[in-house]
Amino acid sequence: MDPSEVEFLAEKELVKIIPNFSLDKIYLIGGDIGPFNPGMPVEVPVWLALNLKQRQKCRIVQPDWMDVAKLEEIRELERKEATFTPVPSLYYMELTKLLLNHASDNIPKADEIRTLVKDIWDTRIAKLRLSADSFISQQEAHAKLDNLTLMEINTTRSFLLNSLNCMYKLRSNLQPGSSTGKAQDY
Amino acid sequence: METQSYVSVPPGVGMEDNFFSLDDILLSHERLTSRTECLFPRLGFLEKSSDSRDIQEGTKMEMPLFLAKGLYERKRRVVSVELPKVYREGWRTVFNADPTVVDLHKMGPYYYGLGSQMLHFDSPENPEIAQAILQTFIGRFRRTMDSSQNAYNEDTSALVERLDYLERALFKAGQSGLNSFQSWERGCASTLTASSLVLNYRKRKITDLQA
Repeated sequence: MDPSEVEFLAEKELVKIIPNFSLDKIYLIGGDIGPFNPGMPVEVPVWLALNLKQRQKCRIVQPDWMDVAKLEEIRELERKEATFTPVPSLYYMELTKLLLNHASDNIPKADEIRTLVKDIWDTRIAKLRLSADSFISQQEAHAKLDNLTLMEINTTRSFLLNSLNCMYKLRSNLQPGSSTGKAQDY
Repeated sequence: METQSYVSVPPGVGMEDNFFSLDDILLSHERLTSRTECLFPRLGFLEKSSDSRDIQEGTKMEMPLFLAKGLYERKRRVVSVELPKVYREGWRTVFNADPTVVDLHKMGPYYYGLGSQMLHFDSPENPEIAQAILQTFIGRFRRTMDSSQNAYNEDTSALVERLDYLERALFKAGQSGLNSFQSWERGCASTLTASSLVLNYRKRKITDLQA
């Protein structure tokens, strides 16, 4: 999976905006998007929010979790715990990038938020690598990791799966005589 | 996008090898010293050192793996294959001590693949060989993972030269994951760029117009 595909999935998340136009409720296949009144906050999917913002028809309100104090707390918690802590949002990395690239004027302290989110990301990726390493070195067959987001899984996916495949191949050497003359169809 | 129009056949699992896999085909060209156990009449031309018409019993020859595997029979009447020295007792203790310092590319670029194929030849040390290969892989995994995930935009040839082909494939997978994430983060994932292969031709008129 591409990071762009993960970003596409992230754009379905809802975010609050304050439009400066008025429009009736629109009925889309994915769901209804409530009536727009100037100055009244309304929840819309991120893809629509970014589009409206680029056409200068709205102002994006930052999500609750995108706040310096809260992110600092989360970062400290992440550094203390050995396992993964619950994330503020399942798509925190993508939302940070999208919202801070397009709407940084609506979000105060954008640079600090960017740094904090990057710190959280780095800590989590380091934990992921550590657990992948212990997984392989103990030759376990199953592992369970809670609170991982799709982006993190995506960066590790190809490497981890390939190495687990290699390990499986080498382990099957230890049990000889399991299969001879299997035909492969191509 | 990572989807490719050509999907290569991966190397086989363990002692099996895939007929169509390019890696397995190249692997089967590795030469092994082996000893003929019976007479090969009128094949003397294959053996350059002696001038006789047939290959005598007990001659030591170098055979590629595919030939040795084909001729090998459980009743051991035809050839007996010697284990290459990398899989023997001496080197196994080296790998046990510290797998990360060994230059696996020099030891035969297909260390893991050849080791798995050697298990066909019923040596009494088979379980130890299999265990040694597995432990070497596990020992080197950490180093491969760290180097592939942290070397962004640098010359990686120094890191890659000590890895064998299996590990190089893993390294490449890790690098491509890292590169695609970094390019996404910088926002260049969705911009179209001219392929580096075409830039070298210097036949693109648009760049002359812009210059």
